[in-house]
Amino acid sequence: MDFGKQLERLEAIVRRLEAEDLDLDEALKLFEEGLERLRAAREQLAQAELKVKKVLEIEGLDR
Amino acid sequence: MGTPLDLFAAASAEGAWTVGEVTRRARAVIEAGLPPLWVRGEVSGFKAWRSGHWYFSLRDKTAQLRCVMFAKQNYLLPAAPTDGMQVFVFARPSMYEEKGEFQLTVMELLSTEQGGLWKLAFEKAKAALTKDGLLDPARKRRMPPFPRRIAVVTSPDGAALRDIQAVIGRRWPLAELIIVPAQVQGAKAEASVCSALNRISRLPVDVLIVGRGGGSIEDLWAFNSERVARAVAGMPMPVISAVGHETDVTLCDLVADLRAPTPSAAAEAATPDRAEVLAHCGVVAQRLARGLRMSSRRVVERLARTGDRLTSSMQHRLEKSRALLTAHSAHLDALSPLRILARGYAVARDGDGRILRRVGQFPAGREFRLRVADGEVAARVQAAVPPLRNAERGSGGEAGGEA
Repeated sequence: MDFGKQLERLEAIVRRLEAEDLDLDEALKLFEEGLERLRAAREQLAQAELKVKKVLEIEGLDR
Repeated sequence: MGTPLDLFAAASAEGAWTVGEVTRRARAVIEAGLPPLWVRGEVSGFKAWRSGHWYFSLRDKTAQLRCVMFAKQNYLLPAAPTDGMQVFVFARPSMYEEKGEFQLTVMELLSTEQGGLWKLAFEKAKAALTKDGLLDPARKRRMPPFPRRIAVVTSPDGAALRDIQAVIGRRWPLAELIIVPAQVQGAKAEASVCSALNRISRLPVDVLIVGRGGGSIEDLWAFNSERVARAVAGMPMPVISAVGHETDVTLCDLVADLRAPTPSAAAEAATPDRAEVLAHCGVVAQRLARGLRMSSRRVVERLARTGDRLTSSMQHRLEKSRALLTAHSAHLDALSPLRILARGYAVARDGDGRILRRVGQFPAGREFRLRVADGEVAARVQAAVPPLRNAERGSGGEAGGEA
């Protein structure tokens, strides 16, 4: 998933947990989703190698 | 041209023109006949007055022209020209009547040493771009915070590309770097850069860097072309330009959403720093944990509140029942036969405890029991008495009690 979207969703989760009166069930579900997204975001950040392509090779890229 | 001078009209002493009339007439003729124009020449006798106005001559091998450039025009220039400097001036030819001198009133001055004709072309293109609103600061787009695809238009084997690749690899390797090779110098540069831009405009790219390493001012030419500038302005994604010199801003720089002093700086501007984002993730993780704590604390508080409400509602019900009970028991008490007995009545019953209500149930000699307020009395009927006329509605027990 796109890193920006990942972080956006994560922040939305945190804001809901902080601000809203949630059922314990719902709060836990959100928390778990947050943890998962945090793990995914950190994993993405840990990526070490920059992918480089020359334009001749990327004709198949979709918009 | 104005009306030709009729020299014979002034041939006699009486018809002689005054000096002022001649200069005024000459000025009118010059100003009507020579529109503002660009003139090229060498500066000589330059003098800046305290008023801020500049006076100098422009000359070439065969002639010279007196020039004035007023303060309100020359304050925009980075420096004053020096004697011997080759310049272009955009000037209005006129007559300085007080001195009877033909003179150029200079409105713009460009040094050929600072790019000369290039500069001229630059100013023209810049004016055209300005007119079309392409240099409007409101057009500038923000860089995407977390770019997925970064495209670079630059020479495929220059230092610029190496620098950009190194910086992005260090700061934001999550991105994909798309290199679109272009010829950035020479006669084909303009067409090559335009075609590269055209290709990128059809690709899903979040931010574009147009880069170029060092080089002389003449090498910047492709990035001062109006065609390239318009192509940059038309890109669907934000563009960072890193093609200028510190002193020379190119049209590409002006049109781009961001101008970077070097290709490395452009790569930095295009990317977030991974280490900072990681630190931010740490903060988000803390907030996440705290958020859960807050949520669960709120749930506990809500439970406690609900419990309180439940207890208090139970208590309320209990009190209501208790009051009801008291009322009922008072009522019951009032109806109790004991209370009736206390008022002086008695109940007669036979040996089996059956209540005796009618005179007929009391044959002479019958033994029965009489219940009064504080106990029982054993009794016997002495004689039967005929029933009362209204005995139908009375209670037999009471009547028997009198026996």
